[in-house]
This record gives sequence, C-alpha cells and structure tokens, in this order.
Amino acid sequence: MSKLNATDIQGFVLRGYNMPCARYCFLHFPDAKSARHLLAELLPSITTGQLWDHKPQSTVNIAFTFKGLAALELPIATLISFPVEFQQGMKARANILGDIGKNAPEHWDEVWREGHVHAWLAIHALTPAALDARHAELAALVAASGVRLLAAQDAASLVVDGQLTTKEHFGYTDGFGNPDYLGVCRSTQPGQGKLLPDGKTWAPLATGELLLGYADEAGELPVAPVPHILAANGTFMVYRKLHENVGTFRNFLNTWAARYGDASDFAKEKLASKFIGRWRDGTPIESSPDAPNQDIVKDPNRNTDFTYGADTGGSRCPVGAHIRRVNPRDAFGFGGRLVNRRRVTRRGLPYGPYTPEPPDPHAQLSESDIAALDAVDRGVVFMVLNACISRQFEFVQQQWISYGNDAHLGNDKDLLLGTHQHGERFSIQGDATPANPPLFCTALPNFVELRGGEYFFLPSITALAMIARELVDPR
Amino acid sequence: MSNQNGSVYGLTFLCPILNDAAASPSHDLQIRNYLSKLDTGAGSPFAIAPGTHLARLAVMDDVIYVGSPAIEEHLQSKYLVFETNCDSDLEPYLRGLVGAVTSHIDAIWQHCTGYPGCADFSRLLAYMKACQITTSFFFAAVNNKTVPQTLVALQTQQAVAQFIASHQGMEPVQLQREFLDFIQWLRSQPPPAPGVGGPLRAIQTGGHNE
Repeated sequence: MSKLNATDIQGFVLRGYNMPCARYCFLHFPDAKSARHLLAELLPSITTGQLWDHKPQSTVNIAFTFKGLAALELPIATLISFPVEFQQGMKARANILGDIGKNAPEHWDEVWREGHVHAWLAIHALTPAALDARHAELAALVAASGVRLLAAQDAASLVVDGQLTTKEHFGYTDGFGNPDYLGVCRSTQPGQGKLLPDGKTWAPLATGELLLGYADEAGELPVAPVPHILAANGTFMVYRKLHENVGTFRNFLNTWAARYGDASDFAKEKLASKFIGRWRDGTPIESSPDAPNQDIVKDPNRNTDFTYGADTGGSRCPVGAHIRRVNPRDAFGFGGRLVNRRRVTRRGLPYGPYTPEPPDPHAQLSESDIAALDAVDRGVVFMVLNACISRQFEFVQQQWISYGNDAHLGNDKDLLLGTHQHGERFSIQGDATPANPPLFCTALPNFVELRGGEYFFLPSITALAMIARELVDPR
Repeated sequence: MSNQNGSVYGLTFLCPILNDAAASPSHDLQIRNYLSKLDTGAGSPFAIAPGTHLARLAVMDDVIYVGSPAIEEHLQSKYLVFETNCDSDLEPYLRGLVGAVTSHIDAIWQHCTGYPGCADFSRLLAYMKACQITTSFFFAAVNNKTVPQTLVALQTQQAVAQFIASHQGMEPVQLQREFLDFIQWLRSQPPPAPGVGGPLRAIQTGGHNE
C-alpha cells in the first residue's frame, strides 16, 4: 500500500476539519460553459488533504450530483458508468432508505423537492466572520459565472452554557470514531478500524472502503466511473438534512424516565444513554455502564475502544442502541468481519438555535411547549463519505436503522432515526439489579425528520481540473 | 451429513427438462410460466405442505459463456433446480408434498425427463433420488427447530413482548395473576400458519454489488 497523494484528495474526505462554522451552498448550472468556467475559477481555492502548518481560517470543497455532471456535459459513456444509486439520486431511493411518511420527499425543503441541485459548495470556517468573508468571495465568483445559487444551509457547533461543544440538539456529544483507512494519515485510535482475529487489536480498513480506485475489504475495486483517473481519489457523499424534534424527544425522555429505575435525575441520564449507547457526555456505556466518565471521553485510547462480544444480551449497551446498530463491531460474531464492508465516514454539524434544557430536569412539557420546540428549524446536517453508497450507507440505513433482524430485534427500528409505525418498541435489556432495570419503551414518536438531501460525487483535484477543462475522455 | 445443518435438511435436485422440438411453447418456458404464477404467501405449495423452511425453484438454461479465455461449454439439457431447507430427509418430506400438493408437483415436474408422476410413490422417490445431488454447504437461518416450533417461537416472542410492554411496572400480585392468565391464553392459541409472516416490508436493493 503506497502512501496516498493527499494533495490530490479533497481535504473534506480525509479529515473532519473540526471547525465550528459551515455554509453549504447549493448551485444550479444553467449551461456547461458557465459551470466549467466557475469550476476553473474555484480550483485554486479547493482545500486538499495536505497537512497544515497553520490551520486556515476557512476551507472550500465541492461535489456534484448526477444531474450536475450531466449539466457539465460529461461524455455519455462516463455518465452511464456511474453506480445506479448515484444516477438515481436520493429521492428515487426513498423506499430503500425508509424515507416514508413525514420523511418522504414531498415533505422536503423546496430546494430538495424540486431536484435542481447540481453542486454542493462547502465552506467551513473558524469564525462567523471568516465564513462570511469566504462566502462573499465565492458568491462573487458564482454570480460572475452565471451559475445560480439556489440555497445555502448554515450549520454551526452548539454553544451550551457558554462553551463551544460537539453536542447536537438532543444533548448528546457527537462525532466519535470515524474509521481509519490504509494510507490515510491521521492519529489512529483503537476501535476505529477493523477488529483483528485476536478480538482486541484494530487495524485500518482497506482504502477502497473510502476512496475510489483502490482495493476494498473484498480485494475488489469499488464500482466507479470511467476513465479511472476521473474516479481515483474521489468518493461519494450522502447529504441528509435531519430535523430534530426537540420537544418530542424531551417529553419522551421525561415520560419514560418517570418509569425507569428510581426515576431520579441520574436514572433519566442513564435512560438517555441507553437510547444511544453513550452517556450524553460521550462516555461509551459498554465501557462505563454505571456512570459517565470524562477520563474515558478525553482519552483517545479508550473512547472508541470497546466490543460487544461479552455483552451479547445487551445488559450494558442495549442491542438496539444507536451506536451498536450502525456499527455492531463484533456483535454479529465472526470476529466482527461482517461489518468491515458496511463502515462509513461521517461528517456533520448541527444547524439552528439551541434551546437549553430546563433547570428542573423533570419539568413536564405541555402539548404547546412540545409543538413549539419541535417547530424550531434545527437539527443536524449529516454527511456520509463512502466508496459505494448502496453497499455502505444504504445498507446501514435499510438493514440496521430501519430493520432489526440482524440484531434479533424483528421489525424494530433505530429509536431516534427510525420512521416508526404502530407496534414498534425500543427494548432496554438491563439485568436483575435495581440500578439497571429492563424497560420496553412503546408508542414511539418520530424524533428525527428528513428535510431533504442528495447523493454527490466528490472528485479528486485532478478530476476537478479535467471536468473544468473538458478533458474527461472515457476511451 | 452434508445435506444436514443441525436438525434442518438442505436438499438439492437437478431435474433435466424435456427437450422436445415439437413442444410449443417449449417445456422450460411452460415451467417458467407456471412458476411465475405460483403464490408465494399462504397459498404457496410449500406453505400448504408440511416442513419447508425455504424453497427455491428455478430453470437453469445453460452455462453462460463469458468470452475468451474461458472455454465455451454447454449443458446437455436444461434443468429444473429445486432447493429446499426442510425438516426431514427426502422420503418423509416428499411424502408430505405428495400428500398435500400433488397437482402442483405434477404440473411442474411433468415437463421433466423421466418424471413418473405422483401416483406411484416408490417410483417418484427413486426418480427424485436419481436427480438429487449433494448440497455440501448451505445456510439455515434456524437450524435447531422445526417449522412449527419456529412459528410458535415467533408467536410467543411477539406475545410476550406485548405483554411486557403493557404490564411493566405493575404491582407484583396483579402482575402474577395477569401473567398466569396470559400464559393460559397463549397456550390455547393455535400455531400460526406458515407463509403468512409479519407486516409486509418493502425490501428493495439495487446497487451493482448486491
């Protein structure tokens, strides 16, 4: 495995920038010429994966929908070589993804309902001022090119009690544990790659699970467009705007906390931890089931280093807890090998204003309080990077979030992300001790609603230049 | 024991399809036509007859030539492929099929070379044995329970989960009383019918690699 050329890979693919502000601009190309012109103008600004001596004030990245590549007039032989799911786009995959009911495309934001998005132009920044400054530069280029700016989505880290956090609106600390990949230079942590046969040691996943043009965990090249040089060092991105119903969540947690254990403040936090598999401060409950532990959260050698093999019954971490569903590690046996081709890299930031928790943790919310909290436009901009959308993201979404069979949970879905139907439940297995009781939560509401999104191709720097200069030749 | 995984059998048959130039449509097309209209729910012959966990019927036309350097080869016949995961070995399983769905068996296999019909069971058994090949390796989703045991287990799991969900936190004396009533009710329930299953899920896939 040779070292990757980080200067040819968009920086957003190789690392989370860990910047608190972002703006995702959605562009529409009226014609190929103006789109290519804009792309050529943007090329010097695109942030690569090259390591920084000094962290920049802001970064710029770009990705295209299938319609965008068609508008750029890529050769037809190239266009039809893209994977089917990318050609179809996320809206057409709604049934596969379980995007039904309130999550169905007819309820999405206008920009996603209409389906005119051709490109995602992303700015991440250290400060709001740096974000606005970079946005002004780019907006001028966009306007001058004749390309249309359809919409922009702002996102920002939440400030809780005056502190910048990595929390989302339900109060959970987010952003642990993206996979390691061969050749990707980053500080690795135990628990982040694939489990080796000894059941304890972790190794990076094959590069081809993230990047096109490299062997994946099956030793195959991921399905990719031709020519090879257009695909290599690129990847596919899933963009999903996930609205969070904060009132519904807080009311649900309060209602069931009153029936959980001794119904104390601590029991409420423990119940919240069972939903996700981490205490809201980020401590993995598999490692620390009885209390949150900031020593573990802050220790990169411990905060993602755990397995479920000694907890098959789910008494520490429920079998259906979110982090156990989406990354079952060794929970399905075979030394964890069943999950190695289902891993994804996640990026994301919250959007919308944060409403602090009420001082009294057991204060009951009225129906109008719940509706008012739910109505606020807020949630998470969730992005996935993977080499194969159908094998990785769509599989996890369909089989592990929207279905429970692999986890022996029948038709039950992920508590927070599932589109629930009558008769579903969330099971907390617990044990016989009073501090860790079992509980079945029923009458599940929908906590998260999809407000839109799309599938994007995030090309390499070389490929961006080829597209800008009309040099893509599939022969 | 390569046709067996735990208590479940995995049986495989390759039955040559009649090659009759005068038949129109050809026998393989007639089988395909019949299979495409078979009920896959409670009316499936494998739901009506006892003991099938999973069954698959397919028409194998030929081996596909994929181009040089592969060697071009052809089968001497088209085949009806029959694979089944079932509760018993061939003889009792076949007896169950013949007893319950004779007309389906005859309608499908009448297009196969040498098929003797269901009327003479010993000849039918000899025919199926002649067509049987060793399965060698197969996956059994449940390999230690019969079909009725599996269905009852699913029914029990559903009912107990619903009972817990609606009774958790109840005062112990009342809980015990209601639990005893519940168990009595559950034991009185008939086993669920095969091929019915739970709520329908729109399972769809569609990528290159699926």
